[in-house]
Amino acid sequence: MEIEHLEIRDYLAQCPPMDTLDPETLDKLIQSIEISYARRGTPIIDVGDRCRFAYLIRTGAVEILNADGELHGHYSEGEWIGVRCLLRDRIAQRSLKAMEDCLLYLVPADVFLQLLNDHVGLLRFFSPHKPDRLREAMDQMRNQSNATLISTQVEDYVKTDPLILAPDTSIQQAAVQMHAQNTTALLVAQQQRLTGIVTEREFCTKVVAQGMDVSQPVASIMTPNPFTIDPHKSGAEAMLLMARKNIRHVPVVENGQIKGLITATDLLKHQSHNAVFIVHSVHKAKSLEKLQTLSKELPATLVELVNSSLTAYDIGHAISAIGEAITVRLLKMAEEIYGPPPVPYAWILAGSLSRNEQTAHSDQDNALILADSYHAPDHGDYFERLAQFVSDGLNACGYDYCPGNVMASNPQWRQPLAQWQRYFDAWINTPEPKALMYTSIFFDLRCAYGDATLLGTLQRQISKTAPDNSIFLAYMAANALQFHPPLGLFRKFVLEKGGAEEKALNFKKRGVTPVIDLARVYALACGSRALSTQDRLEDAADKGVLHPDSMADLRDAFEFISTVRLQHQARQIENNQTPDNFVSPEQLSSLERRHLKDAFEVVRTLQEAMKSRFHAGNLG
Amino acid sequence: MLQWLRKDPEKQRQKLLSVVHDPSLLRYLEVPLPDPAQNLLQTEFVALDFETTGLDATQEAILSIGYTVIREGRIVLRENGYHLIRVNKPIPEKSVVIHHITDDRMAEGAPLHEVMPGLLAKIAGRVLLVHYQAIEKKFLNAACKELYGYELPARYVDTLEIARRRLARAPMRYGPHHLRLFNLRDYYKLPRYNAHNALEDAIATAELFFAEIAQKRRPLERIRLKEVL
Repeated sequence: MEIEHLEIRDYLAQCPPMDTLDPETLDKLIQSIEISYARRGTPIIDVGDRCRFAYLIRTGAVEILNADGELHGHYSEGEWIGVRCLLRDRIAQRSLKAMEDCLLYLVPADVFLQLLNDHVGLLRFFSPHKPDRLREAMDQMRNQSNATLISTQVEDYVKTDPLILAPDTSIQQAAVQMHAQNTTALLVAQQQRLTGIVTEREFCTKVVAQGMDVSQPVASIMTPNPFTIDPHKSGAEAMLLMARKNIRHVPVVENGQIKGLITATDLLKHQSHNAVFIVHSVHKAKSLEKLQTLSKELPATLVELVNSSLTAYDIGHAISAIGEAITVRLLKMAEEIYGPPPVPYAWILAGSLSRNEQTAHSDQDNALILADSYHAPDHGDYFERLAQFVSDGLNACGYDYCPGNVMASNPQWRQPLAQWQRYFDAWINTPEPKALMYTSIFFDLRCAYGDATLLGTLQRQISKTAPDNSIFLAYMAANALQFHPPLGLFRKFVLEKGGAEEKALNFKKRGVTPVIDLARVYALACGSRALSTQDRLEDAADKGVLHPDSMADLRDAFEFISTVRLQHQARQIENNQTPDNFVSPEQLSSLERRHLKDAFEVVRTLQEAMKSRFHAGNLG
Repeated sequence: MLQWLRKDPEKQRQKLLSVVHDPSLLRYLEVPLPDPAQNLLQTEFVALDFETTGLDATQEAILSIGYTVIREGRIVLRENGYHLIRVNKPIPEKSVVIHHITDDRMAEGAPLHEVMPGLLAKIAGRVLLVHYQAIEKKFLNAACKELYGYELPARYVDTLEIARRRLARAPMRYGPHHLRLFNLRDYYKLPRYNAHNALEDAIATAELFFAEIAQKRRPLERIRLKEVL
């Protein structure tokens, strides 16, 4: 009856979640629809009303207020309202009012509920449990990916007949065989168990450079117990493993059986701006100019990682691997210029780089822990020059000087271990608001280069004293409540509690930072040494300080918010803009706005939970 | 023309009851027309649109009929209707451009005399809601006259007329193009439906009616039918 030609049908067919319905069901749905009009300022549903319909806003905007009159949210074109009430007892607990003249499509309650009953995707979409909706959204986001690296498996790339030799094969024989098979690496195995890997590099760095006897067994030059990967892991995971460990060959092993070998070259064919390639080139770079050139690849790499639909967690690791590699390379250059260090030191990464959550170039945060044998009059100059060299180099590579001067070039943050222990003792045992400024930086530390035991000593001190210090945790928790996510996103605006509207949302400050801060508090409370927000939340759940459901909800919310931020930055880079953190709601689809609203609510709820758990509200 | 000079359709209906013999027209006439004093929430409407072979009701024919029902202030799509009418003459090319009904498509339709009883049953006791009654009212009357010998007594609400009255009160000058369904909907930021499909236009007219009467800033139960007739 002409229903199939109606524009209303076309509209609904592209309106989530109805866009997933088959044509026949959609026709039936259209048949059931009623249309109403609400003038600006008039009520649609009052508290206590019996709800008979689910409403789809076709034009206009609707305000929803809680029973106590507090603003719940603003909704506009393409958004469904009045659904929650249908899923409950059909008695409205909130009031719906037209903020603008509204054209509303109404689906009768029984039709709507039957539809949800028949389509589990719809049920999840309208689930009153927001984390479920978020999970569904993320599944869809990943599934839509047609990118090669994430949708392919390691076995799609793998060379199935790698050169495998016994450990007692001579070095010379190995070289002959590699040449004959035109391969760049061989696996060493005994009774089919992998024991090591030899790449061309070993012939150069060990055999030739050290003048080794080529009749020696190949086992003497192999890298024993190499990192391996399962053939069913994604191409992306192989890429990340190579980037993080700076390796180019990974044996593929399944249930202890050698299945083949995967090389960076195999993966590179699928990506032009590959993190593995950059990390590898950084380690080989001979000059600052070369490092600068490589660092310029970072934005394009980010775009490619985002377009591959990798998780924000994985992207953060890959991008951070580049920043870390550049830091390490600069340190090695400094040691070449100024000579070997007079006393052991640890170069410490702080901030997002340390947490493996870097997205684009960001400001550098770093520090130096010196061994206690440090003697300022003798060693001061050396470390000052070293720190300055690295800091300047990072700045030249696009990692701008830290505006708060949290850098190893600042003498305050270039101190012997004993001084660092005093710093941390003060921060933990006599917390004061001013010192808290530093805690969000200095409780995320990772050793990039040098003597990692120096940091280890500090970390043991932290995990021994922090968990039992409730006043410290209360301060940290209060500090972590500085930034709240907004109430929601409404058309062009960011909706704040109380109804104020802003034009753009700072996705760093109001999006990811609240979760990062929250995860840090829980990590400190359970003595976890994890750094990534996701790992910290998982640790906290494992150790029982955070409920596993809350952990999963927050992890998903964080991942979703991070992904939106990354996509925003990738789009900016593609448009030749400098990536920033300001997302205007206009850029987002109504679906993304809806999921963000859910994610924000998860974060706000858990901020409240943290506040009461750590008594953060009790501080003056 | 002055109100009191116009024939009251309700009186006509009562008069026709005693003279008409056709059963489907009789059934229509047995239901009283809506009382102009009743409010809009209790009034049922049939939003109606015709596509025709031309503008002159005495010469041209109805090609398609689309309608939808408004009950309790809501458009009820379940009660939609759409009919293609088979006429015994070729469709002028210049009208095909507008409504996209070709001779071949028309041939799939039913003759008007088969469609009319169903339409009469649908509109009995309801107000006819049209945009520009010069078309629907005249064609409907012409069709009834031809089929049954009498014009159809009915109450019409015309959204074009409502808009014209509103614009006449406004300080801004307006031209005929302002009064077109498409432009009026645009003014109210109503969605852009596919124009010149009889069903789509009927729904579009019903929505425009809501937008127009919303200007009265009173709920439907506090607006009397006679205010919009």
